[in-house]
Amino acid sequence: MAETAATPLDPLEPRDLIPPHHDDKSLNETLLDHVWRKPGKGWFMLFGLTLSALGLLVVGVTYTLARGIGVWGNNQPVGWAFDIINFVWWVGIGHAGTLISAILLLFQQKWRTSINRFAEAMTLFAVMCAGLFPLLHTGRPWFAFWLFPYPSTLGAWPQFRSPLVWDVFAISTYLTVSALFWFVGLIPDLAALRDSSKTKLQRTIYGLFALGWRGSGRHWHNYKIAYLLLAGLSTPLVVSVHTIVSFDFAVSLLPGWHATIFPPYFVAGAVFSGFAMVITLIVPARKYLGLRDVITDRHLENMNKVILATGLIVSYGYMMEHFIAWYSQNQFEFWTFYVNRATGPYAGVYWLMIACNVITPNIFWFKKCRTSVPIMWVASIAVNIGMWCERFIIIVTSLSQDFLPSSWGIYTPTWVDWCIYIGTLGLFGTLFLLFLKFVPAVAISEVKELQLELKHAAHQKSHGAH
Amino acid sequence: MPPMNTKRDGAPSQESSSFALPVVSDRPAAAPDAVGEALEHAAANADSAEHGYGQSYWRSLEEKLGTSEYMEESRPEFPVGADLPPTGFIRREFMQLLGASLALAGATACSTRPADEKLLPYTKTPPEVTPGNPLHYASAMTLSGHTSGLLITAREGRPVKVEGNPDHPVNQGAACTFEQAWLLSLYDPSRARVLRQGKTPRAQRVLNETIASLVGKSASENGGSRVRFLTEAVGSPLTSDLRNHIIKKLPNARFHSASSNQDTQAETLRTLFGGQHVAALYDFSQADIVLSLDADFLESCPGNLRNIREFADRRDPRKGKLNRLYMAEARFSITGGMADHRLRLKSQEVLGLAAAVAQAIGGSAASLAGAAAAKSPLRGELGNWVQAVASDLRAAGPGRSLVIAGERQPAAVHALAHAINNALGNGDKTVRYIQAPIAEATGMSEVRTLVQDIEAGRVDTLVITAYNPVFTLPDDVGLGKVLSKDHPARARLNVLYTALYEDETSAHVDWFIPAAHPLETWGDGRSVEGTVSIAQPLIQPLFNGMPESELLAMFLDEPFRPAYQLLRDYWRGQTANAADFEARWESWVAQGFIENTASNPVAGSPDFGAAASLVAGYTPPASGDLELNFVNDYKVYDGRFANNSWLQELPEPITKMVWDNAALLGPDTAKALNLAPGDMAELTYNGQKLTVPVWVVPGHADNTVTIALGYGRNGLHEQVAKGVGFNVNPIRTSKNPWFDGGATLTKVRGSYKFSLTQTHWRMENRPIALDMPISELEHPSTETQHTLHRVKGELKPGIQDNLVDFDYSKGYKWGMAIDLSRCTGCSACVVACQAENNIPVVGKEQVGRSREMNWLRIDRYFEGPENDPKMVMQPVMCVHCEKAPCEYVCPVNATVHSDEGLNDMVYNRCVGTRYCSNNCPYKVRRFNYLHYTAGKTATEKMLMNPDVTVRNRGVMEKCTYCVQRIERARIDARVNKHLIKEADLKTACQQTCAAQAIVFGSLNDENQLVTQLTEDVRAYKLLHELGTRPRTSHLIRVRNPNTALEPAKAATKEGSH
Repeated sequence: MAETAATPLDPLEPRDLIPPHHDDKSLNETLLDHVWRKPGKGWFMLFGLTLSALGLLVVGVTYTLARGIGVWGNNQPVGWAFDIINFVWWVGIGHAGTLISAILLLFQQKWRTSINRFAEAMTLFAVMCAGLFPLLHTGRPWFAFWLFPYPSTLGAWPQFRSPLVWDVFAISTYLTVSALFWFVGLIPDLAALRDSSKTKLQRTIYGLFALGWRGSGRHWHNYKIAYLLLAGLSTPLVVSVHTIVSFDFAVSLLPGWHATIFPPYFVAGAVFSGFAMVITLIVPARKYLGLRDVITDRHLENMNKVILATGLIVSYGYMMEHFIAWYSQNQFEFWTFYVNRATGPYAGVYWLMIACNVITPNIFWFKKCRTSVPIMWVASIAVNIGMWCERFIIIVTSLSQDFLPSSWGIYTPTWVDWCIYIGTLGLFGTLFLLFLKFVPAVAISEVKELQLELKHAAHQKSHGAH
Repeated sequence: MPPMNTKRDGAPSQESSSFALPVVSDRPAAAPDAVGEALEHAAANADSAEHGYGQSYWRSLEEKLGTSEYMEESRPEFPVGADLPPTGFIRREFMQLLGASLALAGATACSTRPADEKLLPYTKTPPEVTPGNPLHYASAMTLSGHTSGLLITAREGRPVKVEGNPDHPVNQGAACTFEQAWLLSLYDPSRARVLRQGKTPRAQRVLNETIASLVGKSASENGGSRVRFLTEAVGSPLTSDLRNHIIKKLPNARFHSASSNQDTQAETLRTLFGGQHVAALYDFSQADIVLSLDADFLESCPGNLRNIREFADRRDPRKGKLNRLYMAEARFSITGGMADHRLRLKSQEVLGLAAAVAQAIGGSAASLAGAAAAKSPLRGELGNWVQAVASDLRAAGPGRSLVIAGERQPAAVHALAHAINNALGNGDKTVRYIQAPIAEATGMSEVRTLVQDIEAGRVDTLVITAYNPVFTLPDDVGLGKVLSKDHPARARLNVLYTALYEDETSAHVDWFIPAAHPLETWGDGRSVEGTVSIAQPLIQPLFNGMPESELLAMFLDEPFRPAYQLLRDYWRGQTANAADFEARWESWVAQGFIENTASNPVAGSPDFGAAASLVAGYTPPASGDLELNFVNDYKVYDGRFANNSWLQELPEPITKMVWDNAALLGPDTAKALNLAPGDMAELTYNGQKLTVPVWVVPGHADNTVTIALGYGRNGLHEQVAKGVGFNVNPIRTSKNPWFDGGATLTKVRGSYKFSLTQTHWRMENRPIALDMPISELEHPSTETQHTLHRVKGELKPGIQDNLVDFDYSKGYKWGMAIDLSRCTGCSACVVACQAENNIPVVGKEQVGRSREMNWLRIDRYFEGPENDPKMVMQPVMCVHCEKAPCEYVCPVNATVHSDEGLNDMVYNRCVGTRYCSNNCPYKVRRFNYLHYTAGKTATEKMLMNPDVTVRNRGVMEKCTYCVQRIERARIDARVNKHLIKEADLKTACQQTCAAQAIVFGSLNDENQLVTQLTEDVRAYKLLHELGTRPRTSHLIRVRNPNTALEPAKAATKEGSH
């Protein structure tokens, strides 16, 4: 998009976000095209790939349920491993969606418009993947519902002091609100799909989900209020979900977990990984969908700035953890941060984490890197890997060497662990590809609205000039 | 259901005895009930005909030998209806059926017993049986010639727990790992079940007839000169008597006895006492200074429990002045870990050391020392050590020291040890010479004679009752060779063998007779100090086993008498006044042993002139850099416990290795040989080669390699033992069965994965297992003060202590104290816990994944230089924190606190998030990652303690402070309207600990020992600084080093590394 990249403007100025040659019709055509068009070979190949990965999930989960979680590598002392690493990782990835949708909406960041649908879908699917793990990781998943407060005949309630119960609320709220938010935002676009449907079946299905949307002024009025309310509702979630997830660790007394810095550090990490995942997915998707006009390089650059900012917060978090370990002169903390992490059995993972999370985002100080699609794509993958490593380091390394050296032990993942991890990637990919196939990936109504606003502004400007 | 013996022996008497044992007797019951009548009727109509059951049970040999499970599947242990819900009437019926089925299993075992013995359900429940209440029976177990006194807990007719007999002079309530785990062997589904001749199953009648005709024929032809018996060392009076009777019947028959150890001491004492059979008893309670010459007296020798108890009392500063132990050894042993000064040296150097000490002591010892010193020169740098030890020994005063030689050491070392004791005036004080309970020569030379006889064709019949001699003896003894099918002398040899398992020996025999487990039959035996124990059965034979006494009695060609009858007849004969025999018998059986049967002291004193021949007869082992050592294993002994999964999974006390043995090396030697732990190496010795994996143990002597015996089993049906570890007997020789020089070890390709329960041996300077010289405790240095403040100082309010306190001052406040000074690390407590709490065995692979399930672990740390470290043992189980980190993180309230301070685990509620374990700083929680309790056979299920839940997959578990014992004590206390007394409540680990290192009780009662210990100056709380407020205290281990060898300051550092 040479014409947009050429003039660096204030990002708060929405003018250059969407090329001016589009009108409503062309926008409709561009943005609905990928739904109506027959999927290409590429889509089918990718779909086959993700579906096979999903097959691994089925294998892994079935085997786990049949034999018990002993088929994983978890042990004593490492009671949590891939299960909780993947859980936190997926929840973190989901964070971009909420942030983009809610916070940026409230701050009236116009540039969010083209990518919010995309990010929200990602959130939803990521949270679905994440939600699998807390359920699966229990020794007796058939009793996992005991974590929910319900009037049981046993007269027993969950233990409300446990962060795992808080997790249950946090994650289920998050999933509900994200799903609602995504769906409410979809309604006008579903109506557009209904209206441009070519077959009766399509019309019926899209019509059903469009909930009778006619685009009347009253509809728009209610819709806007509902959307804004939901945005307001999800705003605290951006902070709360990962704060609560971080409590799983911070509330314990394990060196490496027991740290007051965890909540902000986890939230920043979540946004960091979430935006990286958006970049990872949006770069190929916008090419495939032909959306470069709508999801422009300016969008990508702005996201890279967020990655840089949150990456620096994460680096600060690492620094503070090490500083406190030194400053407190606590023997156990000192061992965890300076001996075990840096030189212990998992030192390789630690240094990979430092390379990916501390060093990589710093390339975005340079505009060249911020705007180079291949560089940012590789960097975003590095950040995703780095954030996975971070959870590995926090969870496995801290557990494997805690207070009494007699109990120290090594964790090694088994094939089932990998199966389930790759399987959730497959689940995520499958859902995402289906999303791209059946639903507009960009919020058409919002883009149109933006387009209109831009035109109006341009008109007023020219009018005022006369 | 009553114990089986009440069926055979009439109704139990109603008298109560010290353990409320039902007393068994064969006199007619005072008021015969229906059961008694039925049994009498059955006995009267006894028919010794075979009834053809043998053929009908075994449809084909393939079925029988093919799979071990076959029998249990095809012949259910429990009859129809036994699996109905145990409620109301059904529960009663279940018990009856259970009892009946077990009894029938036994009844069908021996055709010579009444074959149509009918069991009837109780119409009147015997007075001692209340379903749900345990019964205790005294019994005994014989290992290595020593019979220990045990107390067995039975639940509804099933023995479920073995404890030491509190009144027995050696056990005094304690039991070692072997004695406790021995119960598991009773229920072992791989035990032999079929009496067979070759591959043909036979009835016992056929065996009986075969033996009768054999005895008759050889008695008339040659007086049995072609008959040989190979037995264990015989300590049992009944067996000796049977042997004497057989000799009477077959005057030319010969008995040989084989034993895995203890031959050198006996041989030495025979020489010193002019051919008398003499044993030495040691009194550690009086010994201020102890020098152990490679003697692992705390663990490896028979009767060790008494040694542990006496020794531990002398390590406790509350009980007075500490003793001091000097230890010289090659491998790191349990005793070595307790030493104040441990000298690492080759086993062959021990003689030189003994000679040097003897020379320094002077007197009668010095004359022997000269000759010995010439045979084993001492390294110059050890002179200082020798002088320090000698002056310490002398300074202790007469009768206040003790020198003890190890069983692996040659007679010359034993002679020197006795000479030094004599010179120090220890005779009759710390060393007492008594008439040996085992009055016979035993050992490999005996078996060698037998093998020579067989080779020369002088033997027709060989009866083996010894444990698996083909496996346990070095291959060069040649027993395996002469018994193998292709040996020329084999054709005319008829071999009978009785054992619990179809093992390596049974593969070579003509007749195999499944033995009755000692808990299935009557027997007797003598302890190391001579006390006779009467062993009563707890259950009818589960797998058709035949008692050894009944087998031997067949050679008498007399009418059949069951083991019970044999035993009673013998002891009736020993009782001068036959009239009161019944009363005496009842008290013997009830209390488990016969009072005042301890051996008498021997007349005369040792003649050290005779000992010169022992020193002269000693040939130094082959020269060469690397010394090869063999030791009996701490877990499977000589292999006889190899099929016992509790012991296989018990962490080896020093290496913490499970399910394996290894070539153990010191760190320097391993470095010099370029070997790392887990490497494979080729061991060459005496022209033989063996590929073994290597493990490195800190503190192992340089240039020595130690391998434990008893592994690499290849028995026919020993499924647990099969393929575990490495068999070293092929390279062992009968000439130097315990150590020899001239071995080489070379690295070869490949590696081996060991499973260890503890992989990190340093404390990393953390104050965990505290260990310091007593002087340091009395006058702590600044550094020690700092450490003590950390582990027992006031908690900082608001920082380390910021939760609301609960008022525990009313009622009971359970707590525990573990004295590290006393703990040897022997691991008896670990087995006790496993038996008491139904703890599953998970196997080598799962332990390798760090998922062992033992609730109680013994952490073993080395401190100091890697080559010559000190060792400290620390038992750790749930410490029951008052502010428990596990509790607040559980999302479902599955682990909660009781108002008596127990950290309770609610298995039913647990969903298995493992958060509690992650947040437990002591890592004492254990998780059922898989369904470890699945797939138990019917007999294995009988072992389960009904008071403790058998946990399912996906559930967390941990030490409960034996809450089931607390509750049982509470019920008793409430019934009797008093508070739970200290004596009434012992946790399983505490109960079995010979060292009395573990004490449990209510901390609200200041008179209880646990309260006193908790307030002791040595008491501290593990990870105290976290503010978890554990209820378990550990007591600092104190050492008593000789300042001449270890300057006071040097020892103040703990965990330096």
